[in-house]
Amino acid sequence: MSEKEKIHRDPGVCIPWQQKLAELPPIGGDAELVRKVWEDTDALAYTYIWQCLLSF
Amino acid sequence: MPEHTEQIYAERLKRYVTAMRNEKPDRIPIRPFVAEFTATYAGYTCQQITHDYEMAFAAARKCAADFDWDAVVSNMVFVWTGLTEAIGMKYYGVPGIHVPPDVGFQYLEPAEENAFMKTDEYDQLIEDPTGFLFNVWLPRVSNDVQPQDKPTSFRNNLSFLKGGMAMLNYFGAFAKQDELLRTESGTVSAISGILKAPMDILADKLRGYIGMAMDLLQKPDKVLAACEALMPHLLHVALAGADPDKNVPITIWMHRGCVPFVSPEHFNKIYWPTLKPIIEGIWAKGHQVLFYAEGNWDAHLNSFAELPDASIIYHVDKGDILKVHKTIGHKFCISGGLPNYLLSVGSPDEVRCCCRKIIDDVAGEGGYIMDASAIVQNDAKIENVKAMTEFTREYGVY
Repeated sequence: MSEKEKIHRDPGVCIPWQQKLAELPPIGGDAELVRKVWEDTDALAYTYIWQCLLSF
Repeated sequence: MPEHTEQIYAERLKRYVTAMRNEKPDRIPIRPFVAEFTATYAGYTCQQITHDYEMAFAAARKCAADFDWDAVVSNMVFVWTGLTEAIGMKYYGVPGIHVPPDVGFQYLEPAEENAFMKTDEYDQLIEDPTGFLFNVWLPRVSNDVQPQDKPTSFRNNLSFLKGGMAMLNYFGAFAKQDELLRTESGTVSAISGILKAPMDILADKLRGYIGMAMDLLQKPDKVLAACEALMPHLLHVALAGADPDKNVPITIWMHRGCVPFVSPEHFNKIYWPTLKPIIEGIWAKGHQVLFYAEGNWDAHLNSFAELPDASIIYHVDKGDILKVHKTIGHKFCISGGLPNYLLSVGSPDEVRCCCRKIIDDVAGEGGYIMDASAIVQNDAKIENVKAMTEFTREYGVY
């Protein structure tokens, strides 16, 4: 997906799971596990930029 | 931990929380927001406690152990400049680098024409706040982060890697610091989580105060829309850092959203309507917010009175503490009000006299926490901080 394509980002999200999912081959294993780990680590990047703005 | 230390902690937590709920504890809690003062007391320079957070933590713990305080901020010199230098942040004057080693860090707001967000970029921010911060804002505030239309670089990549890992280390270290405050001296960690008002953060870090003031006159609808776009993110960040036990409050650092920095109309139409729902959202989750009302917000006390009872603790800086007490004291706990200049240039007797007046005027029915008006820096005299502490402990018993 182009960087300039419009993306709706909810609070806590940098790259939405649906966007990442579309880039992946069909998940044969535990898709929920992949989603959760993606979102948890993605939230760290969200924390980084908003804490840069608010705290530092 | 010795049993008596845990007992002291439990007593202090109960005292602090009772006062914050606007009720009457056994005595007035003392919760000074001591920043660079900790360096003065513990024998460090401003450079040391600003650039090395372990030194800042040690200084905070030494003060907590030596003074009979109920609660302290784990590190009130929160801006760790080791982190900001790792990212390449442009906007700090760092002690020992850009300012003398015994001067507190400085925020360098750029001139209007060099604002980190341009006046024609509101739509970008409104459409995608997080994307705007990463793609537009960060490259402008960092010497190392490359704009999107430029090739990446070694320094660009390191900025994210070092910045991310350093932030993780720093935030992770607070858990241990809070535990040491509890086990070494029975001191409560006073706050958890950060909030800023949408319009304040727009002025502080994006448009600059002058730029935002011009925009309020020329494009108030855009300012309002930008504040509305920031609201859900600021609520999210505040709740993400909140105390899971719901004892201590999230703090909002209130800067330049009050009269006379802005007009009453702009406060009533933009600042307050985009902050009040955030406070209500936080309260709905069971957390209080400490209004650290830097400057004088007396013109807006009736607006703050619209909030649910006990949803905030109101900290008085330059405001009239008696007026605050009369207007919102029946709803909210009040803290602060002891002028910092007294701690700096006054005598212990003058400090005691002022503490007595504050206690007599506003603390009679509980709902008051002793603190200076603003963050205590390295100009405060140790004997004056001791006078504030000892007098309140002796006189502030219910």
